[in-house]
Amino acid sequence: MFFLSEIEHTLRLPPHLLNRHLNEAIKGELDSLFLDKVIEKLGLCVNVYDIRSIDGGFIFPGDGASTYTVKFRLVMFRPFVGEVISARLKESTKDGLRLSLGFFDDIYVPVPLLASPNHSEPDPEHKNGIRWVWEYEGENYPIDGTDEIRFRVHNVSYPPVPLDQGKDLDEKELEQKDSKPFAPMVVTGSLDADGLGPISWWV
Amino acid sequence: MKILEHNGGALTNCEVLDLLKSRGAGKDPTRVIASVSPSEFKVFDYLEQTPACNQTRDIIHKFVDECKKFDLAKAEILNVVNMRPSSAVEVYTIIEECDSRMEDKIDDFVEMILQVLPPHPSHAEPNEETGDGKEETLQ
Repeated sequence: MFFLSEIEHTLRLPPHLLNRHLNEAIKGELDSLFLDKVIEKLGLCVNVYDIRSIDGGFIFPGDGASTYTVKFRLVMFRPFVGEVISARLKESTKDGLRLSLGFFDDIYVPVPLLASPNHSEPDPEHKNGIRWVWEYEGENYPIDGTDEIRFRVHNVSYPPVPLDQGKDLDEKELEQKDSKPFAPMVVTGSLDADGLGPISWWV
Repeated sequence: MKILEHNGGALTNCEVLDLLKSRGAGKDPTRVIASVSPSEFKVFDYLEQTPACNQTRDIIHKFVDECKKFDLAKAEILNVVNMRPSSAVEVYTIIEECDSRMEDKIDDFVEMILQVLPPHPSHAEPNEETGDGKEETLQ
C-alpha cells in the first residue's frame, strides 16, 4: 500500500523562514507543498520520510528568497493491482459503490465488478439511496455500511487535470460537473471473489 | 520536480504507523501540538484500525522467515502482513493460484499466521481462547 519514492525538487524558501534552522524550514516547506497531494504515477503523498541532501542556497537576482535543490524521500500511498484492502462504505448508487479509507475517498466499485449474482433495491434508510444485495445459495446478503468491506484493487488511474472549462458549458452540464469534484487519482476495486466484500460475510 | 526513484521500497502498514508515532501522532489527544498534519492524522486513524497496530519489527521478521518455506511472492507476504487473514478463505483472495501452489499446506499457513501475527485487539476472535502464552509475551 505504501511505497517510498525519491524526488528531487528545486525549492524556493520564502524569506520569512530564514531565521529558522535550515532543515526545519525546508521540511515545513516540503510538507505544505507535497502532503496530501497526488503525484502522477507515484500516488498520494502521505508523509515526508527524510531529506537526503540540500544543495544550493543561491539567491537569484531580483528575488529575496534563496533557492535550494533538495533530494528527499516521500511515503506514497500507491495500491498495486491485486492488493486486498479493507475500507468503509461511503455511498452506494446505481453505478456501484464508493468506498473510503479516511484519508482517501476515491475508490469506486462499478456494478460489473460487484459480487455476482446480485440485485439492487432502494435503501430503506437513505432517501434516494440504492442498496446492493448479493444472492448466494438462496440467501440474500446486503452490502450496508456497518462493517469493513474488503476489496481487491483492479486498477489505479490518474485522470488528466481538466482544463479551465467555465466558458462554453450551458447550465445543465455545469450542474453535473459541480456534483463530483475532480479526483486526481481513482482506484477501481472489485468484490468478485471469495473472501471479498463485507467481513461479516466470511467470518 | 524530478522523480529520481519511482519505487524506493515497499513499507508495511506497521512501519508507516511507527513513523507517524515517532513524530508524536499517538500521544497528543488534542492533535494540535504534535508536528503532524491533519491529513497524516487521518492515515494514523485508518492504520490504528488495521491489524498493524499490534505488530512490531520482530514479529514481521519472524513472519517473513517462516514464509520462506511456502514460496510466496513479496507482494503476497506484504498483503498477508497488512491484512492478517484468519481463515483459508481469506488467504485464497490474497495468494494467486492458491490451489496449485499451496495444495494442502494452506492449513499450516493459516495456523502459522494465527500464531505469529497478533490479532486486532477489538476483533473478538475465538482463537484467543486456544491462544497461547506466545501471543501474550509478544504483546
